[in-house]
Amino acid sequence: MKFSMNIYKKRFALGIAALLMATSAMALDKGSTAPAFDLKGVEGNINLAKYQGKLVYLDFWASWCGPCRQSFPWMNELQSKYGAQGLQIIGVNLDQKNEDARQFLTTTPARFLVAFDPAGATPRSCGVKGMPSSVLIGPDGKIIFEHAGFKEADRAALEEKIKSSLGAIK
Amino acid sequence: MTKIIEITSVPLITSTGPETLPASSDMQTIGAALLTAALLLPGVVKAETPPEHASLSLKYLNYEEKQAGLKRITANSPSLSLTTPLGADWSLDATLTSDDVSGASPRYHTAISGASRMNDQRTAGDVAFTRYFPRASLTVGTAYSTEHDYESRALSATGNFSSEDKNTTWTVGLGGSHDRINPTNLIVKNETKKTISIMAGVTQILTAEDIAQLTLSHSRGEGYFSDPYKALDRRPRERNQTTLLARWNHHFLGTGGTGRFSYRYYSDTYDVKAHTLTAEYVQPFSQGWTITPSLRVYSQSAASFYFDPVYDAQLGAPFPPGYQFASTQPSSADQRLSGFGALTFGFKVSKQLTSDWTVDIKLENYEQRGNWRLFHKGSPGLAALKAQSIQLGISKQW
Amino acid sequence: MKVIVKKTTTMLLIASAALALSACGTIKPVQPWEKGNLAKTAMTFENDRLESRYGEHIYTSRESASGGAGVGGGGCGCN
Repeated sequence: MKFSMNIYKKRFALGIAALLMATSAMALDKGSTAPAFDLKGVEGNINLAKYQGKLVYLDFWASWCGPCRQSFPWMNELQSKYGAQGLQIIGVNLDQKNEDARQFLTTTPARFLVAFDPAGATPRSCGVKGMPSSVLIGPDGKIIFEHAGFKEADRAALEEKIKSSLGAIK
Repeated sequence: MTKIIEITSVPLITSTGPETLPASSDMQTIGAALLTAALLLPGVVKAETPPEHASLSLKYLNYEEKQAGLKRITANSPSLSLTTPLGADWSLDATLTSDDVSGASPRYHTAISGASRMNDQRTAGDVAFTRYFPRASLTVGTAYSTEHDYESRALSATGNFSSEDKNTTWTVGLGGSHDRINPTNLIVKNETKKTISIMAGVTQILTAEDIAQLTLSHSRGEGYFSDPYKALDRRPRERNQTTLLARWNHHFLGTGGTGRFSYRYYSDTYDVKAHTLTAEYVQPFSQGWTITPSLRVYSQSAASFYFDPVYDAQLGAPFPPGYQFASTQPSSADQRLSGFGALTFGFKVSKQLTSDWTVDIKLENYEQRGNWRLFHKGSPGLAALKAQSIQLGISKQW
Repeated sequence: MKVIVKKTTTMLLIASAALALSACGTIKPVQPWEKGNLAKTAMTFENDRLESRYGEHIYTSRESASGGAGVGGGGCGCN
């Protein structure tokens, strides 16, 4: 019995090691340049380069993501509150079917820019690890922070980070 | 208030004088299994976040079974289920069921003569709390059920742990139950049964359209397992069970439907080995309609101490040939421990009325036959069991 | 001895199957934004709780096999 347990433990350890290696972090580090993108938007294209000089809050969302629904009203509020101070929220939609995204937007409207990336190139290059995910990009194009998930408790902390980053611009 | 009416009693003919067999009532009535199901449910693997919406569901089951020449058990069971998030990190699941079971059942094998009628009410409830962590969750639950001659309590804890990319989730669970039996025929008094079970499983997202799960469970039980209402039913005071369950869901991009498949292998110390294969297909249509046809194939071997309906030439039914009165050897003439195969055909239709309300109806047809056992011969001489059930449900979320 | 070897072999096979299952998903892991279809209720293993319960309790009272996916079930008068 002891003999078999050792084999079991070895294989278990190997399995875990394989798992950990495969799922190792891919997120981009703070301070690295945010990857460029040029995506289709609701009206015309959205090119990240155009927003150099602004504080860009990039939010990755999809129609099937529950917490996304809760984050939209909050993001609308932020955009109206801090837009004049240089904040630009861009919601990057990752639905495979565009109609699902459009349907979502009719019931949960966005008062910020919306871009469509069904191929998923942007979240891949940003190392997105959960849905929703957000990336705060400074006016110099460098990443300030990345955040995965969205809970009630997150709102205050995220808003604080945005406020202080805006303060740093001035 | 429960009533057990004994229609006939089968006298034992011996030289020492007549004895009557215990009043028969079907202990294996549907509602009684409610609590077994309580925490042995599929779906213990919880997502990492509390549910987005709270929901309340009401469902009603009508079940009727029969065999050739005898209408058997009828059960009517309404139940209520509540799921609600509690803040950002907790959720609550609670269920309440009431059960009205009545009808006739054979006292041994599928014998019509001597079958007795019963009428029973059962109530069962369970509550579980789940705490959510960034990549894990812990659920603790308790269950209770009561009927006139049987009381059961259970407690369990289950933990889920996910990998960083959330594609792999490991599950471990531990549970225990304590039952008290006080049959009305007083054949035993205040008997108890204790069970402890453990479970370990892994759920893996294979592709964007495939998810699979493998679960291994083991349970050890000791105490009183016999059915006091069945003739010559004497079971070992220990029962250990092992189950291996494999499940796979596949989403069909072409149709937008989902195929759900499962295979379960069961083995216990009664020498019962069983295979269960289920398949269902969920197809959504426009206007919120969804139809789900389903199929279940089941096969089991007989318990080692089950005896066929072949009786002693002198003693007659229900005594097996060469029966010794003083014997302490286990024995049973319970159809449930015989070797057989069973098929279930099901069809469910559900309609999402508004974003908050859903209604559904499910019809199932079940048949169990000795000669339907897969790969081996089933137990001979038993009448086929047929059952039909209908479930009506309504659900509200907010 | 034979029983111990058989049981050990079975345990190893099950453990390997579990590891193989999780290894399968690490070859080309599914990204968070690709999980739209997996989020559908029909694709989860948590379905209509009451329906599952009715099914389980009908089967455990008419057949010998029980359980599989959960733990700690209470008892019933259905030996």
